[in-house]
Amino acid sequence: MNSDAPIWRRLQPFVATVLVVVLIGVPLWLVVVTAGKSQGEALNPDLSLPSDWQLWTNLKSVWSEGDVPAAFFGSLLVVVPTVAGVLTFGSMAAWVLARRTTRLNAALYALAISGIVLPPAVVTVVLLLRQLGLAGTAVGMIGVYMGIYMSTVVFFVTGFVRTIPASLEEAAQIDGAGPFTVFRRVVLPMLRPVLATATILICLYVWNDVFYAFFVVGGRLDTLPLNLFRVASAGLYLNNWHLIFAYVILMSLPLVAVFAVAQRRIIAGITSGAVK
Amino acid sequence: MKRWTSLATAAVLTLGLAACSDPAAETSTDTTATWADPSAKLDGVKLTIWAAQNSNTVPKKVVEGFQAATGATVEVVTIPDPYEQGIQTKVATGDKPDIAFWQPTASMLTAINAKTNLQPLNDAPWLTKLSPDLKDITGILDGTRYAALITSPAVEGVYYNKEVFDANGITATPKSFEEMVTLARTLKGKGVTPFYEMAADRWATQWWVQVQLADAAKDGFWDKVNKGQATFNDPVVLDAIKTYKSLIDEGLFNKNIKTAKFEDQGAALLAGEAAMVVQVNSFFGQLQAKADTATLDKKIGFFPISPSGNVGTFIPDQSNALVAFKTGDAKREAAARQLMAYWMGPGYADFVDDRNTVSLESATPNPPGVPKALLDVHAALPTSVGSMQALAVANPDLYINLADMITGTMSPEQVAKATQDQFAQLAKAAGAPGF
Amino acid sequence: MTPASAPRRGRGAINRGTHPMWFLAPAFAILLVFFFLPTVFNFVYAFTDWSGFKAQINPVGFDNFEELASSGTLFRALRTTVVYAVLVAVFQNLFGFALAVLLERDTWVNRLARIFFLVPVLMSALAVGYIFQALLKPEGSVNQLIGAVTGHTFDYAWLGDTTWTIVVVAAIHGWKWMGLSMLIYLAGLKTIPEDLMEAARIDGASRWHTFWRIRSPLLAPAVTFNVATALLGSMNGFDIVQATTGGGPARTTEILNIFIYRTFGQGLFAQATTMSLILFLLVALMAFPVIYLLRRRERVL
Repeated sequence: MNSDAPIWRRLQPFVATVLVVVLIGVPLWLVVVTAGKSQGEALNPDLSLPSDWQLWTNLKSVWSEGDVPAAFFGSLLVVVPTVAGVLTFGSMAAWVLARRTTRLNAALYALAISGIVLPPAVVTVVLLLRQLGLAGTAVGMIGVYMGIYMSTVVFFVTGFVRTIPASLEEAAQIDGAGPFTVFRRVVLPMLRPVLATATILICLYVWNDVFYAFFVVGGRLDTLPLNLFRVASAGLYLNNWHLIFAYVILMSLPLVAVFAVAQRRIIAGITSGAVK
Repeated sequence: MKRWTSLATAAVLTLGLAACSDPAAETSTDTTATWADPSAKLDGVKLTIWAAQNSNTVPKKVVEGFQAATGATVEVVTIPDPYEQGIQTKVATGDKPDIAFWQPTASMLTAINAKTNLQPLNDAPWLTKLSPDLKDITGILDGTRYAALITSPAVEGVYYNKEVFDANGITATPKSFEEMVTLARTLKGKGVTPFYEMAADRWATQWWVQVQLADAAKDGFWDKVNKGQATFNDPVVLDAIKTYKSLIDEGLFNKNIKTAKFEDQGAALLAGEAAMVVQVNSFFGQLQAKADTATLDKKIGFFPISPSGNVGTFIPDQSNALVAFKTGDAKREAAARQLMAYWMGPGYADFVDDRNTVSLESATPNPPGVPKALLDVHAALPTSVGSMQALAVANPDLYINLADMITGTMSPEQVAKATQDQFAQLAKAAGAPGF
Repeated sequence: MTPASAPRRGRGAINRGTHPMWFLAPAFAILLVFFFLPTVFNFVYAFTDWSGFKAQINPVGFDNFEELASSGTLFRALRTTVVYAVLVAVFQNLFGFALAVLLERDTWVNRLARIFFLVPVLMSALAVGYIFQALLKPEGSVNQLIGAVTGHTFDYAWLGDTTWTIVVVAAIHGWKWMGLSMLIYLAGLKTIPEDLMEAARIDGASRWHTFWRIRSPLLAPAVTFNVATALLGSMNGFDIVQATTGGGPARTTEILNIFIYRTFGQGLFAQATTMSLILFLLVALMAFPVIYLLRRRERVL
C-alpha cells in the first residue's frame, strides 16, 4: 500500500513480535505459571517456572471450592436472555424508529440512544428492584442489563435499517403480510450482520460485568465475575495468588474458546458495525 | 401523545414512591419470639452462618453437634475482609444470612440497622446462665438485646514473648505506657525488635491509639464526642496519633511494617522475632491455632496498658458475638434461634473446650486447656474501659487512616481530620442528635 | 430482488398499519423501568437522608452536596474521574492507533499479532486488574525485569504513588481495550481509497507526509468513535481500579464508581446516590461538547 522503506519492511514483523511478547505474552505467562505453582511458591508471583506443575490440582480445587459450575450457569442464565431480549425488542423499536420519520420519533430515538453514553443509576436501581420484589433475582438482573444495553442495539440497528431498501418491505406488504410478519421474514434476516456485532459486544460486556451484578444480585445469584471478586478478595488476604490466577484461567476460557473458533467473524462483526 | 401520558404517569408514580420509606426496611413485627428446645428435630432446614476470615473456624464444633442432634444443615460462609463493610453491603442489597458474627457494640448494631434487620433476643433461655457481670456488658441497643455474647469480650492490651523478656533481663511488665516505651528503647538497644505491627492488614493499627485514650475514655471522652462537644482533632487524640507515628519513626517497630500481615504478626511473636504486640483476643486465637496451650503458657504473656496504668480497653469484636437476622422465613428464623440456644446451652461445654477459651457461664467451668494469657485477658475485663467501638455512636475507619499514615500517604493531622469527618457523617446518617 | 434504491417516502407506503408504534413498546417499557426510572430516582434520593441505619427517608435539600463539596470529596472525585477518563482516552487511542499502523498489512504475522492483542479485550477487567496488581508489586515481575535490564534492583511501588498511580492505572485500562481501538482504526485505514495514496505518491509525497496529511484526517470518524467511547465510557469505570488499587493510595485513584461502591457499603446510601447523580451530570454535560467538537473536526476535514 505505502511505499515502505525496505528496512522497515524487514524490521516490522520483528517489532510486532516483540510487542506481542512483551505486552501480551508477559502478563499471560504470569497467569499460567503462577496458576501452576503451590501456595508457597506463588506468594510472590513472578515469571519463573514452577518447580512442580500443580496447574491441574489448582484448577480442580478452584473448580470445587470456588463453585465454578454454579457461577458459570449463573452467568449463562443472565447473559442469554439479556442478549435475546435486547436484540429482539431493540431491533423492533429500531425498525419503526428508522422508517417512520416523525418528529416524535426523532425525539424518541434521541431518548433511546442516550443510554449508550449516560451511566446507569446503580444505587437507585437496587431500590427500584426491591420495590418491585425483584432484588437479587435473575429476572431483575436481566431487566437491568437490558435497560443498560438497549440503547446500543437501537443505535446500531437504526443506522443499519436505513440502508435496507424499503421496497423490499413494500413488496411483502403488497402480498398481504402484516407488520410482524414483514419484520420477521424480511427485516430480521437482513439485520444479521449488525445483530451479530451487537451480540458480540453485549455478550462481552455482560459476561464480564461485576459492578452492576454486585449491586443487583451480590451473592444470591453467582456469576463468574462476581465469583472472581469473592475468590480474589479472600485469596488476596491469604496470599493465594495461585488460586486467583487458576480462577482467572477458568473464567476466561469460555470467551477465549469462542473467540478462537469464530475470530474471523467476530473481528469482521466489530469493525463493520463500528465504523459508520 | 400516548407516550407522553405514560411518561407523565411514571413521573407521578416516582414522586409517590419517593414519599415511601425503603421497602427493605419494614418495621418489625412485634411477635414475641418462641424458643424451641435446642435439640428439637429440624430435618431439611438449611441455615447459613457468615463469619470473618479470623472467625470462620469458631463454629465448627457447635455446627457438628447441632447437625447431629437436629438433622439440620448448617453452612459457614466466609465473608472476606473488610468484614463489616462486606456484610453491610450484602445486607444493603438484600442478601441476609441466618446468623452472622457481628460486633455487639451499640455503634455497630446501629450500623446494621438492628431494629429492622435483627431478631431481638430478650428472652433467650441461656441469659440466666451467664455470669452476672458479663451478661449486659454488650449486645444491647436501646434496651433491646440483639447480639448473643459467646466468648469473652476482647480486651486491647499487650501480648509479649516471655522468653524474649527473660533473655533480656526484664523481670517486671511495664506499669504504664511510658514505662513500656522506655522498655522498648532498652530492648532496641539490645538488638531486639520491640514491637510488631501489621500495617498491610491494617485493622490492628487502631489499638495503639485507643490504648492511649483509656484515661480519657474513663473520664467520659466518648460521651463528649457523641454529643459533638469533642472531636478526633482534639489534642488527646491527635497526640496519641502523633506518639504512635513517632514510635514507628524511631524504629521501635518491625522493618517490614508496611507489608506485614496478621499471619506474619502471629508468627513473629511466637518465634520471638519481636517482643511485644498490641492486639486483641482474635490475635491470640491465631496463636492458639499455631501452638498448644503448654507452649503458649511458656512463651506468651499478656498485660493491659494505658497511659496511667494497666487498664485494659475492652472492645467486643465480631468473633465475640452472634446476631440472628430477620430473613422473613419464620421457620428459619426459629431454627436460627434454636441454633443459638444450642450453642449457649447443650453445646456450650464442648464449644469452650474445643476453642480453649474462657467460659462465660458460671455453671460451665473453664476447660483445663485455657492458656494463662487468655485468663489474664478475661481478668482485665472488670477494670477495663470502653473502646471507641464500644462507646462511640458511630465507628469511623480510624484504622484505614492510620495505615495510610504508616505507608506515608497521610499526616497525623489528616488522620484525625478524616476520621472526624467520617464520624460526623456516620453519626448524622444514624440520626444522632447534634450532627 | 429489486436493486437498492432510495426508499420511497410516499404517504401510503410507511404508516401506522405497516410500521405500528406498539413495536416500540417493549423496548421503551424496559428502558423506562430499568434505566430512566432509576435515573429519575437519582435526582430524588440525592436530596434525602437515605441510609442503611434507619427505615425512614426524609428530604434534606442540598445538604448532601454541601457536605461533599465542603469536605473536598466532591471535587477530588470529579477531578480524579476526569483525569482518569482523559488519560484512558489518550492511552487507548495512542496504543490502538499505533498498533493499527504497525499491523496494517495483512501478513500472517500481523494477523496473528492482531488476534493476540484482542485477548485482553475478552478478559474480564477485574481479572486484568489482579494480573497487574501482581505484576506491579514492588517485588513483582515488572520491577524484576527492569532490574535485570538495568543491572540494579528496582523496587518502585507502581501502585503506591499518590501522584502517578492514576497514570499507571489509566494505562492498564488502555492496555485492556487497545485491541478494540486497533480494530476500529484498522477498519478505518482500510476505507481509505488506494488511488488517493497512489496519486500522492506519484506527486512525490513522502510516506510521512501522506500519512499525516491524507490518511489521518480521513480517519476522523474512527477517531470520533474511539475517543468518545473511551472518554465517556471510562468515566463509568470500576473493575480495573478496584482490582489494582481499590481507590488508594489514600483515595488518589478513587473514581466516582469506587466512591459509590465504598459509601454504599458503609450504609450511606444518600451519599452514594448523590455521587451517582453527579456522575450522570458529569457525563451528560461532557458528552455534548465532546461529540460536537469531534464531529466538527470530522466535517472540517
